[in-house]
Amino acid sequence: MSLTFLPSYLVRSDALDTLSGKPIGKLRARLTRGENDFPFKVLDTHDEHLRRRGICLVRSGSDLLLWPAAHGPITQYVGKDPVEFVTDLPDGPVRQALGAVPELRSLLPMAQGRMQQVLLALVDTEEKTRARAEFHVLTAQDGSAAIVQPQALRGYDGAYTQLIKALGACGAKTLTEASVIAALNPDHRPYVAKPDLKLGAKTTAYDAATGIIKAYLAVARRNEAGIIADTDIEFLHDYRIALRKIRSVLSLFKDVYKDKQTLALKQQFSDLMALTGRLRDLDVYMQERQFFFDLLPESLHAGLERMFQMFAEERTAQLATLAAHLQSPAYEAEITALINRFDTCHKLRPGPEGDRNAQTYAAKLIWKRYRKICQIAEAIDDQTEDEMVHELRIQCKKLRYLMEFFAPAFPKTAFKSLLKPLKKLQDNLGLFNDYSVQQNSLTAFLDSLGTKDHDRNMQLAQSVGALIAVLHQRQREERLKVVDSFAMFNSKETQQTFRDLFHGGKS
Amino acid sequence: MKIIACYSNKGGVGKTATAVNLAYALAAKGQRTLLCDLDPQGASSFYFRVKPSKKLTETKFFEDVERFTKAIRASDFDGLDILPANMTFRDFDVFLSRMRNSRSRLKKALKAVKGDYDVILLDCPPNISTLSENVFSAADGIIVPVIPTTLSQRTYIQLEQFFQANKLPLKKLHAFFSMTQGVKSLHGQTMEDMRKQHKKRFLKTQIAFTSDIERMGVQRAPVMATAPRSQAAQAYGTLHDELMERL
Repeated sequence: MSLTFLPSYLVRSDALDTLSGKPIGKLRARLTRGENDFPFKVLDTHDEHLRRRGICLVRSGSDLLLWPAAHGPITQYVGKDPVEFVTDLPDGPVRQALGAVPELRSLLPMAQGRMQQVLLALVDTEEKTRARAEFHVLTAQDGSAAIVQPQALRGYDGAYTQLIKALGACGAKTLTEASVIAALNPDHRPYVAKPDLKLGAKTTAYDAATGIIKAYLAVARRNEAGIIADTDIEFLHDYRIALRKIRSVLSLFKDVYKDKQTLALKQQFSDLMALTGRLRDLDVYMQERQFFFDLLPESLHAGLERMFQMFAEERTAQLATLAAHLQSPAYEAEITALINRFDTCHKLRPGPEGDRNAQTYAAKLIWKRYRKICQIAEAIDDQTEDEMVHELRIQCKKLRYLMEFFAPAFPKTAFKSLLKPLKKLQDNLGLFNDYSVQQNSLTAFLDSLGTKDHDRNMQLAQSVGALIAVLHQRQREERLKVVDSFAMFNSKETQQTFRDLFHGGKS
Repeated sequence: MKIIACYSNKGGVGKTATAVNLAYALAAKGQRTLLCDLDPQGASSFYFRVKPSKKLTETKFFEDVERFTKAIRASDFDGLDILPANMTFRDFDVFLSRMRNSRSRLKKALKAVKGDYDVILLDCPPNISTLSENVFSAADGIIVPVIPTTLSQRTYIQLEQFFQANKLPLKKLHAFFSMTQGVKSLHGQTMEDMRKQHKKRFLKTQIAFTSDIERMGVQRAPVMATAPRSQAAQAYGTLHDELMERL
């Protein structure tokens, strides 16, 4: 019987020869190799959510295998169909072990090849097994490695310790420390949606801005293929966020680049984003389908059904247009030119603030933005125009971006203590905005309906009208929370931390 | 949780072979099983290649939860653990009652190491002592191998008399014929007599005397693991099924 939930390891595939070659303490390794090998695919999301949690998920034929486990991998039969989203998996041991995963991310084959199972038993002079390990040797085209699940046997703790030591001597690392994907594919670069940007004490504002833009251009590029293949909607979402961050660097980092260049670049990135806006809106609608249906009584569902059908058709068309754009030589030329420009800094002249120290520059920008937010918020009560709330939302977003860009330059804990309540405030403002945007776009959708097919359009208009009413009600509810949310964010501690970090402790 | 004792007041009747194969069969059927080797002459630990622990020579042992849980050894088979303790246990009844009591420290300690067993199988020494008395009252069932000879018949009767004298329920006894030999007509006659005489006490299954069981000493593993298709392995399988149905 196994004692506890033990970690799984990743080790070079030749470790088996090393382990069986010589005695391990007073014990000897006995290997039993599986007769056959099987095809395998390592599955993970684009952002390697599972790998970052120290989990390895493998598909082999009709089975899913998952490490770490108490002993051996956890397995679940899933049949012949491809597994796209974890949420689509039938209930079973693997589904349960996966727990909470990002619902919108699909599982992709990150590496593939053939897999062979080898059992290792450490036996004593009586041929009694004192510790065990199950190896799954994965061989891909460009690399190989073995996932090892050691198993402790009750009463033989010493043998288990020796086994782990021997594995360590072979270079074994736990799955939290090592990446199966990287071991099988040495050229693999993990995708990181929020790159860790380093900010040295002497970094200039110009270098900081250029560094951020370079990093996010790379992020945007990593999402193109997934948008074109329509793998999942997070590719487009991340692509847009990357471009939006670049645009906010250009507008928030005032005078870091020459004015004219900044303006031209801002326009260029806005144009790139404009092509993606409608598709993103439609993605959100499709995602919220159930939510909308739940908002309305069943008598109005037929109209909604029709609306979603129209959305689905429009989405197909939008996706085709965007995919064609992303694959066009013109786009390739444009994005390559942008990357080269920020790489070489050619035709990217610094503005008057370009040479300033990034950290003092950041403190100035953040403090200014924070003061502005406080000013707006102080003027808001339950009667204030919605416009002001929208303004508050936009300023909070800018503050959040600024803080995230410059996070490496400030103490981690203090920074986190500011970001957490800020995120909460933004959630409230975000919902308020979403309901408002949805009302507007649904109204626009109604206006766009032609005069043809009058009867069905009436039905549709009834449903959408009711939906707008409900969304309006929801928006009012969020609106009522704004004053409290801001007060929660702007506590005495928050105010003090902002002063300390960004304004030399002064108010 | 069930406690099953494997007992015979006569040696050399295939008691340990029964305990070893029964333990294996229980674990193979998904019952988390602890086999306690209580017989200093028996060798259930030997069959599982588990070396006896030097630390376990004190009679007070069962009062010491930690030492008890530490003494348990995993066998090479999933779901089957061994307590390789061959000695006399003064406090064995205390131990058994604690195993039953879900609130006892012993039980909690076992749970903590995932040693919450479904079945505890006791391979008992072949005598009637304080230990066996404790075992008889604590066990849910006592499986008794009987060689169908006149001598064995007499020792079995002694066991029933002991039960009656000590007001122990006879229905706890589940006897079966062990090491039977088809060619010996005496065996057939004795079995017939005993089944009549001790109605309901004897299981239908009998374990024949085969070389597969003899070879267990060389193989040092249950015959059910080394020769699962053999007649002996199948007979132990049936014995397990029949016993579990009765318990």
